[in-house]
Amino acid sequence: MLEVDHLVTGYGGVPVLQDVSLTLSAGEIVGLLGANNAGKTTLINSLSGMYAPMSGRIRFEGQDVTAMTPKQRVEIGIIQVPEGRLVFPEMSVRENLLLGGINARARTHRPRQMDHVLELFPRLQERLGQKAGTLSGGEQQMLAIGRALMAEAKLLMLDEPSLGLSPLFVQYIFGIIDRLHAEGLSILLIEQNLNLTLRHAQRCYVLERGKVAVEGASDVVKDDPRTRRAYLGL
Amino acid sequence: MAEFLQALAQGLLIGSTYGLLALGMGLVYGVSGVVNFSHGDFISLGMFLCLALYSALALDPYVSLVITVPLMTVIGGLVYWYLLRPMVGHQFLMVVQLTLGLSLVLQNGILMVFGGQPARTPSVVESKLLILGDVVVRVPHVIAFVVSFAMAIGLYIMLRSTDFGRSIRAVHQNAHAAALMGIDVSRVQTLTFALGIGILAIAAALLLPGTPIQPAQGLRYTVITLIVVALGGMTNFVGIMLGGLIIGLSEAYGTIYLSDTLGMLLPYGIFVLIMLFRPQGLTWSSSR
Repeated sequence: MLEVDHLVTGYGGVPVLQDVSLTLSAGEIVGLLGANNAGKTTLINSLSGMYAPMSGRIRFEGQDVTAMTPKQRVEIGIIQVPEGRLVFPEMSVRENLLLGGINARARTHRPRQMDHVLELFPRLQERLGQKAGTLSGGEQQMLAIGRALMAEAKLLMLDEPSLGLSPLFVQYIFGIIDRLHAEGLSILLIEQNLNLTLRHAQRCYVLERGKVAVEGASDVVKDDPRTRRAYLGL
Repeated sequence: MAEFLQALAQGLLIGSTYGLLALGMGLVYGVSGVVNFSHGDFISLGMFLCLALYSALALDPYVSLVITVPLMTVIGGLVYWYLLRPMVGHQFLMVVQLTLGLSLVLQNGILMVFGGQPARTPSVVESKLLILGDVVVRVPHVIAFVVSFAMAIGLYIMLRSTDFGRSIRAVHQNAHAAALMGIDVSRVQTLTFALGIGILAIAAALLLPGTPIQPAQGLRYTVITLIVVALGGMTNFVGIMLGGLIIGLSEAYGTIYLSDTLGMLLPYGIFVLIMLFRPQGLTWSSSR
């Protein structure tokens, strides 16, 4: 479904991602691991079209999307839940969800998608009229995921969904991720939390200083000594 | 007492239009961070377009809106897309210089076409008066008040309950997240700028009847707008309309109770005073 081919991305001429290749099949959960500054967020933002790559190709469902704008990528179903959630703080939960489904493909299905999201997150139903900035971190994460689902994601990319959440909420959010996966959604999961990701993802890539250091099935990656090394920066 | 009420009425009526002028600037600043120093010159442009349409086709300024609003909206869109967009997000100072340059171009362009002598554009309602007890108000001022508040309310509803309005607020609150929703941020910024300039075309016609115009007046409107926006808080709707009323009132009281020149200074004095004691603007929380 997603093929990233020798991607090089950077800012101001300095490459941050150096020759990254990865694939993700339809219905798969793939984990993307790595320490701070390994290039995880740069990669996810390149997939969203926020940066033009210096070289390399990105293909989605057989279509070359390398030159597509962020808007076009949202319209074909590549949806990101950004790090830090980035909900619109001064807007109500309902307005945030409506904005999630603002793209041309999803716009007309918003009432139906909204029902689906609210069924998935009953807590959001209770908070519909409340400003998103007043929600707790966990509720904001629910909203950020709900907002992405409003966009009718085909590929859902989650950037650090566990960041700053209490263990209980982390468990809840990963339960939701498992449920979405069971419903057939393809998921790219970016996490610093090694064990959590290895438990939920089928395959993993470990990024180290902009390069793929380790890749493979989760249990293989788990036992690979290079994984720990990539984390500790040795 | 009659004088007092007279100034109150006049200040409120004109102040509402100042508020409308400032709403346009506030919206543009909110989505793109552009402070447009050619704001007042676009008002000038709107007024002189009305003059041209009167000279050529004998159109009343209110009727000219049918032409000036679409025309100025398109001009605003083109200016943002081709001149401002490449600069936005890089260097704030470059944007300021660009809009200052645009101000000079507009001002001297108008001077070249229309000459420097003050001109007037007549309107059928120009000399009509409304007498309420001791207070005499000019009908154009009443029209300006009604239209300005109607526009402000319309804008507010648009921002609250349409997809375009929500996109504007989304870009304002977090442009990166807005882009991730599939919102074309540059497009929203361009349309908002176009909308802001289109509003100025309306404001120009509202201010025009009975007001002599000359090419160098733009700066005065820019300064008034900046003051109103600073008073209200850049993106606060209620605050901006309130700021417009305060500046309108201080102008009106200044010209009645003080001498002409001193009266014109009063709004600036009041502005400095408010900024000394409430540097965060008039309203408490900024509602976006």
